[in-house]
Order: sequence, then structure tokens, then C-alpha cells
Amino acid sequence: MSTQRYRELFNRELNRRKLLAYGAAAGAGAAFGPRALTLAQDGTIDTTDWTPETIVAQAGTLEVDTAAECAQVVPLDYEGEVSYWYVGPADSEPQITHDIDAEFWAAFAETYPNITVNITRLTYNDMLDQIRTAALGNAAPMVAKMPILWGVEFAAKGQLQEFGPADAGYPVEEYWPGAMKSVTYDGKTYGVPTNNETMALIWNAALFEEAGLDPDSPPATWDDVVAYSKQIKENTGKDGYGLVARVNAGNTPFRFMPAMWAYGGGALDEAAEAPTYEEIWINNEGSIAALQSHYQMYVTDKSVPTSALTNTQAENQAPFISGSLGMMIAHPAEYAQMNDMAANADEADREIADQVVANMRYGFLPEGPTGRRAVVFGGSNVHVFEPSVVDGGNVDLDAARALIAFSTGPEWSTKLAWVGSNPSNIRGFQTSWMKERLDSIPFLDVTTSMLPYGIPFPVVPESTEIMNIIVPDMLQNALTESMSVEDAANNAASQIEEIRGDGL
Amino acid sequence: MSAITGSQPTTEPPAPEERGPGLAGRIAALPGDIARHWSDYLYILPALGIMLVVIAYPIFYTVRLSFYSTPANLAMDDKIWIGLDNYRRILTSDSFRSVTRNTLEWTVFSTFFAYVIGLGAALVIQREFPGRSIVRGVLLIPWVISYVSAAYIWKWLYHSDYGLINDTLIRLNIVDQNINILDNIHRALPALIIANIWKEFPFAMIMLLAGLQGVPDQLHRAAKVDGAGTWARFWHITMPQLKSVSVVTILLLMLTNLNSFTLVWVMTGGGPAGSTDIWITQIYQLAFGRTRFGVASAYSVILFLIMMALGYFYVKALTRGDAEREGA
Amino acid sequence: MSSNYERTAGSRKRLDAWGIAGWVFLLLLLVFTVVPLAWMLSTALKTQLGALQFPPRWIPTNPTTENFRMLLDPNDDIGRRFLRYMLNSLWVSTATTVVGVLVAVPAAYAFSRFRFPGRNSLFYGVLLRNMFPAVIFLIPLFILMRNLRLVNSYGSLIITYLTFGLPLSIWLLKGFYDNIPVQLEQAARIDGASRFQAFIRIVMPLSAPGIVATAIYSFILAWNEYVYALTFITDDRKLTVPVGLQRFFSEYVANWPGLMAAAFLMSIPVVVMFLVLQKYFVRALTEGAIKQ
Repeated sequence: MSTQRYRELFNRELNRRKLLAYGAAAGAGAAFGPRALTLAQDGTIDTTDWTPETIVAQAGTLEVDTAAECAQVVPLDYEGEVSYWYVGPADSEPQITHDIDAEFWAAFAETYPNITVNITRLTYNDMLDQIRTAALGNAAPMVAKMPILWGVEFAAKGQLQEFGPADAGYPVEEYWPGAMKSVTYDGKTYGVPTNNETMALIWNAALFEEAGLDPDSPPATWDDVVAYSKQIKENTGKDGYGLVARVNAGNTPFRFMPAMWAYGGGALDEAAEAPTYEEIWINNEGSIAALQSHYQMYVTDKSVPTSALTNTQAENQAPFISGSLGMMIAHPAEYAQMNDMAANADEADREIADQVVANMRYGFLPEGPTGRRAVVFGGSNVHVFEPSVVDGGNVDLDAARALIAFSTGPEWSTKLAWVGSNPSNIRGFQTSWMKERLDSIPFLDVTTSMLPYGIPFPVVPESTEIMNIIVPDMLQNALTESMSVEDAANNAASQIEEIRGDGL
Repeated sequence: MSAITGSQPTTEPPAPEERGPGLAGRIAALPGDIARHWSDYLYILPALGIMLVVIAYPIFYTVRLSFYSTPANLAMDDKIWIGLDNYRRILTSDSFRSVTRNTLEWTVFSTFFAYVIGLGAALVIQREFPGRSIVRGVLLIPWVISYVSAAYIWKWLYHSDYGLINDTLIRLNIVDQNINILDNIHRALPALIIANIWKEFPFAMIMLLAGLQGVPDQLHRAAKVDGAGTWARFWHITMPQLKSVSVVTILLLMLTNLNSFTLVWVMTGGGPAGSTDIWITQIYQLAFGRTRFGVASAYSVILFLIMMALGYFYVKALTRGDAEREGA
Repeated sequence: MSSNYERTAGSRKRLDAWGIAGWVFLLLLLVFTVVPLAWMLSTALKTQLGALQFPPRWIPTNPTTENFRMLLDPNDDIGRRFLRYMLNSLWVSTATTVVGVLVAVPAAYAFSRFRFPGRNSLFYGVLLRNMFPAVIFLIPLFILMRNLRLVNSYGSLIITYLTFGLPLSIWLLKGFYDNIPVQLEQAARIDGASRFQAFIRIVMPLSAPGIVATAIYSFILAWNEYVYALTFITDDRKLTVPVGLQRFFSEYVANWPGLMAAAFLMSIPVVVMFLVLQKYFVRALTEGAIKQ
């Protein structure tokens, strides 16, 4: 078992940083007070108790026998074949991600020695186009794991089979309600969540100090983000906030929608108590305020990277690690990534990079003016395609069930989410692997405790288009000043109306 | 260069279309002619077969789909017949106007400068000097490397925060702090055009270089004896000789630019705020980003028609020499 | 072959303003051409953080060949895949080139020599292939390739790439055959050679530069193609190198030096090939295509 290696990887410098990390985490979580986690007793998740402390307390209290659980779904000697597409670890991702991937397939082959899996690894940026084309040309795989935003379009087109956690042997209560919402279309379930995560705010404490800000407290509101960003730029010359606004990049909505929601806006009414997805909020007062705040940073204050409009989030990491970016919304995986980058830096850079790593703080995302805090409920789901669109015209459903049961159970939904996410199966939070992750990955407790603030993207077939194109387009229209802020918002609203209305 | 003038048609009897009796007579004679020449067709069959496979079905598919609406919530089989509605929407939309303007700027400026720089390069390169073939080889490299590589190289050069170009501008005191280039609606398209010229001028250069080899020396010497200056000789002797190769080069460049997808897509994706969106990226975005295959197909058909018009001139330019020979 | 009228004594004696302008222009053009390429190489020798410094440095403070080692090391996970992509590209491009020549030569010969009905229309039809933008055909061609059971096989790419290169190849070669006096063939046939033998012995050697040129052209087109490769091939083991290049940008990672190193390495085969064979290319264009 290579868990020892994982630990070594992340323990570099950890002791020095741990104190600071927990300090920050406690500061961020303090608003909720100490409570005990009452998870899974009645099968539901009480999100009010979801704090860094309760998450830590819960981990390591449960033993899991994955093979035994799977055997109840599909016999372990089942003979079959299944084709499977997923976003595999990219070349430049940390070694640990590659190792866990390899370990997973070895473990699956050991548990189900007679099931052949035809694996296709794709990249995040290419997969959507490729899987759309494949489904259109009846060449889809039997099973595919897709980022949370994409599935509903395929469900609406009738290309996915009805398939829920129960089909993989797990009660639906073992998954986050937000995650289940993302696989439910027209009252039916079209997938099983594999992992869920929320992002957090990450900042460079040394740069905060240099700018005359309190190094240990993140901006409490989005208005503070704007003010802090300006102050950092003015006092240090470095960029304040890591804004990204590239079109057709999944990163943009993950960074911008939290601000929209916090200000009381949204694309549709996905941030409402009971969303109907019938109303368009993208040009309401809150949305315009959010857009205005970003306009302020990019155009008026020029306190964010100049290349924001062509950047994806990946391009913010290096500036951050080299100490020239103050704060950004970061995915949990980015910590490992930046650590990796620091380790590979040459001597002169390494000193700076190590300092930045030591000064890195994670906290909750800021609130809006009315105290609303929101974050995108992210993650992935695994889906089973209809035989009619699958290459060869048939689906080995039992092989698919075996693979899904194996990968979405508490053990592997925890391990596969190692550096960057969280188990979809909430029993995963109670396992020893979760404990190990919490012990070895700084700030994981902070990002994890953002989960209750997670808002799923609208569950409508046009969601991908709205989030990846219309929302970034709106940002670009406003930030390049080719439209006024209001016009950009109204233009986005009319586009949404058009595609929701008659589907152009 | 004039070996052809001596060539007799061939061992084959001339085909009816070159003989030119009345139309009715030609049609009547056609089956017999085809039968007589059946073995000739075997030579071109593989080429035509591959062309047909790769072109015929896609054209049929695209034209048909252009009459349908394909919303995100419907499977392809449930698409809705809407007649010419896609065409009406495209032609009346604001975005069509701005995308068309971008496409024209992109195509015209890229082609013009690639041609002019290529011509200048060809004129200098055909002088004899030490290291000439090395210089020629180096100038050809941008044309040989892939568009993906070129796109990333230039994206990195233009980078608003870490780019070499920003650094150079600051060193030359042209600007006093980093400017945004690919993130600016006024600068992004010109920046892309410069990258595209870098990629394409070598093609114009090599075509024109070949054309220059065909300019007879005697003409220049005679003109020199008559006291014509460099410019006069260039304008009155070289350019007329380069006319046909120039037409072919310019048309090929225009077709390449109208079809140029990778460079724009990788560098800006059509942004910021649509300022570098050209027809071809718009089509890709409609089809893949927005799954509006119907509208994308209608867009494609419009683009076809424009390309066909250009193609007509292209074919005419390519075959002018043939026609002159065969007409003689 | 050359017509170097600038070389005459007169222009060498007096400093011709046009001559000087020409050299200055050439110098600027060389800078314009070389700087981006040099910058690619300079970046490839930096670490990820080293590349993100402003002002940027031409000479890396601590140059590293790690990016190249990583890509070329068959024991490294990344290297293994990159080398595999290179081999895949090599195979696809070579197959496209060979088949392309085999298909283009007889077609060009027929268009040049024979006078069959529909000759002109068919010739123009072939040339029209260049009119159709690649992107438009992605979906219908994907469906077609799927029906031909060619998705995720190199066959889909080879067939598609063939049609990119064929129009120019056929046009260029036809120009060559037009220039070869038909009497040469007739003489051979009087000596008892068959039409095929005459073609092989007389016509082929004379059109060799044209064949080399069309081969280079097809190879480069196939080596560099990106959009179809992205759509037709999803199997990681079968990717070609332009698509593989993209793998340096993922959801969470942007590795400029790695990307530049990969771009540099993937350019080497075509650049070297072209530099070695460029004189054939110019000759082929001169003799085959540019006719007065």
C-alpha cells in the first residue's frame, strides 16, 4: 500500500504549516460554534453540523469491506465487458493522482477478475465535445464519468439510462441531496455521484501583511474582496484577486457564480429555496452588483491579472505560488498541484515558492451584502448510456453495475477523490482513508466544510451552454467595455430566454 | 519553361468536349465516348472514390440539417423541421454582422500582408548570397510547423502578464506598463493576424520564388540596357510575369484563411467578447459549444456558397494555362 | 535555373538603394521569423516558475533539460505516451503520404494525357475539395466513419487527410506530366514498351521532383492536423501528437515550458525533413505548377 508515500508527499513542511492551517480553519469555522456531527444515523445529512471540527471528529470511525458490499450487487465471479470513459489524470498532474488511478484499476481487476474494462481517458477540456459527438454518432461508451454540469443534457436527449444509487446497491440517502439533484431530470435518476467538492478562498498571508491587511483573516464579503484586491495592488504592485473569465472554460462559472449568488443573483433561480428554473435572474439587481464588482476590479482598479479574459484557473497557480497574486478561489486539488510546482522549481524560485506555501491560507468564500455565502456544488457523476447510442448497440448492465458499485462506494469514492475532492458516498467521510486525507492534506477540512453552502448548477439541458458560454460571454462583454454592465446582463438574459424558449 | 508548347495532344483521340460540335451531338455521342474511354477512368477512380466518400455524404448531411432546429433537450432523431428559419435568423442577427466583419478583416489583412511580405522575401531570397539556402530554409520553418504549436507559441509571446512582447514594448518605451493584448477587444484581432502572417508568408514566398525562376533573364538585361531602374524593371517586367502565380497564391491564402480554425480557437476561442470570432469559430461554437447543429449547418452552407464563388476564380486561375494550350 | 539579375556588375558597384532596402527587409524578416522560435526553445529550457517571471529572461537563470528528458524518457509515464503519440503520427503521416502518391500519380497522369469525357469537370471537382472547411464536416464525417467502423482507427484519419493533400498533389503532378513531351513516351512504345512500361521508365523519373514535393506536402499536412484527430480518436493510445500536445493544459494545470518543449520536439521531424528536401519543393513548384 502506498499510502505511506502519500503521507510523505504531503508532510513536506507540513508540521510548520499545520498550526497556521488549523488556526485559519478554526477562524473560518468559528461562526458556527462547536457542534457534534450526527451523520448518517437517520440516513440524512444535517448540514448545520458540517464544520471543520465535526468532519475531523467523524473520520476514521468506520470499517468498510468493499468486495463484500459489491458482491451483493453483482457476484464477484461475474464475467463481462464494459467500456468506460472518464477524465483521466493529465500528464502534468501530480504523481499521486496517477498512482491512485493505477491502484484503483488494479483493485478492480482483483475484485472482479472476469470483467474486462475498456478504459478511455480523456482530458477535461476535450471530453465534452468528444462525448457529444460520440453519442450523436452512436459510438458512446457504456459507462462514463462526467463533471456534474454535463449529464443533464444527455439525459434530456434520451441518451442515458435510468440508473441510480439503488442500482449499485447503495441507499440514495448515502449521497448528498445536492448531488442527487444534479442527476435527476424530469423526476427520474440518471446517474450516481462519484465525488463532490466545493472550493474555498486561498490567500497569501505574507502578501496580505505587506499590503497592510490582517494576514490571518480573509475578506468577509465580496465588497471586501474588491477593496482588498485594490489595496494589494496599490501597496505591493502585485495582483490582488485571481479573476478568470475565459469563454468555453469550465473554470469561469466556478469562480464567478459564487459571487452572483452571494449578491442575490443567479443565472436562473437555482439559488432560490425551491428552484423552478423558470425564472431568469441573470439581470436582476444581485447579478448586476456581482458583475459590477468584477468590472471594478478589472477595469477601474486594474487590481487583477491583465490576462484574466484568456486565463483559465490553471494559469493563476504559478503567479500565486511565485508570490505575485494575493488571493483566489481555489479547488482543493490546487494545493497539491502548487506544492508539486514548488518542489520542481529551481533553487532561487524554490525559496519564494516554499515561503508562499508556508504563507498559504484557506478560508471560506466571502459573503454577499446580505450575509449570503454560496459556492458551486461541484464534483462528478457516473452515467450509463442507452444501448441505442452505445458502440455495438448493447450494454452489459451487470458489468456496468459492478464497476459503478465498486467506484462509488465509501472506499473508492474516498480514495479516487484523494487530492482534490470528497467522497460522494457519505459513509466515506467516516473511513480511515478520510482521516488519513485530513491528516495529510492541509485545509481539506475547510474546503469540505463549504459543502453545505454548495448550490448545484441549474438542472436544465441548456445548463452547460449557460454556464460555459453565456455567463463568461456576459463577463467579457462587461470587462472589455464592449457593453455597459447592465447591457451585458440584459443581453445574457435575452440569450437565455431565447435558448430556453424555442431552442433556436 | 516552354516545353509544353511542342506537345501534341496525345495518342488518344480528343474528347467531345474539346472538339465542340453542337450540344445535342455531344450528348448523343457521350455514352459511346465513355465506353471507349472506360479504362481511362480506372486511373482516376481511387482519387475520385476517396473524394466522394469524404465529401458527398457530409454535404448532403449538412444541407439537410440546415433546415432543422436541434435544441439541447431533443435527441437528433427528434429534430424539428423549420425550413429556412435558420438562414433567416443568421442573416438578420447582429452577431452575423460582427462575425462577418471580423472574418473579412482577418482574411483580407492576413492575405494581403502574407502576400506582400512573401513577395518581398522572394525578391531578396532569389539574389545569390552566401548562406542563401539556409536563410530560405529558416524563413520556411513557420509554414512547416503545426498550427497548434504556432498558436501556443504566439499565445505565450502575447501573454499580458508574462509575455515577451509586453516586455519588449516596455523596453522600447512604447508603453510604460503591461498592456493587455489578447484580452483587449481592439488588439486581439490584429494580434491574431500578425501570428497568422508569420505562419503564412513563407507559403507566399515559396510560390513566388518558384514564379520568379520563370522570369526570363533576357527581359531584364534588355530593360537594363534601355536604362530602366530597379523599380521600373520590377513593375513592368517582374510583376506581369508573376501575375498568374500571384492570383493562385492569393486565392489559396484566402481559402486557407477562411478555413483557418486552429490558430484562432487555441489563442482566443473567438473572444474576448466575440472580437475575434470568425465564421469558422462561430460554426464550431454553435455546433459543439451550444449543440445547435441546425444553425451551425445553415452557417456552413452560407460559407460553402461564398467559398464556391472564390473557388470558381481559383479553378479558373489554376486552369487558365491549360485552357490557353488546349484552345490553341 | 536561376535568373539573378541583381548579380550584374552594375548593381554591385554602386550601392543600390533597393539593394540595401532588400537586405534590411531580410534582416527584419529573419528577426520576425526566428524570435518566436527561439522564444519557444528558451521557454522549454525553463522551470514552470522560471517561465513566469516578468520581465522575462532570454537565458534561463537555471536552465533545465528536464522538460525534454521527461518527454523523451521511455521509462517515464509522460515520455512513454509522448513517444507513442510521435510514433502514431509518424505512422498516420507516412501511410497518408504513400497512399496519397499512389492515388495521385495515376490520376494526374490520366488528367494530363487522356481525353475522356468529363475530364475537365472531374479535374475541377477534385480541386474543389479545398473549398470545404474542415470544421463543418466534423459531425457528418464522424457518423460516416462510425458506419465504416473506422472510429478510433488510423484509417479514419488517413482517408480524411488524403483528401486534404490530393487536390494540390494532382494539380502539381499534372503540371509535370503536361511538361513531359509525349513524343518521349511514343518513342518508347515504338521500341516495344507497353503504356505502363513507358510510364514507369520515362515519365516517373522525369516527374520525381514533383512526387517528392507532393509527398512532403502530404506528410506535413497529416503530421500537423488537429481538429479531425481530436474528434475521430478518443483512445489515448492512438492519439496523434498535435492532440497529445493539448495534454499539457488540463483543468488544473498550465505548464508552458512543458508545452513549448513538446511543440519543439514535434516540429523537429517535419522541419528537418523539409529543410533537407526544400530544393525539390521549389523545383517542383517551378517546373510543375508555375507555367508561363
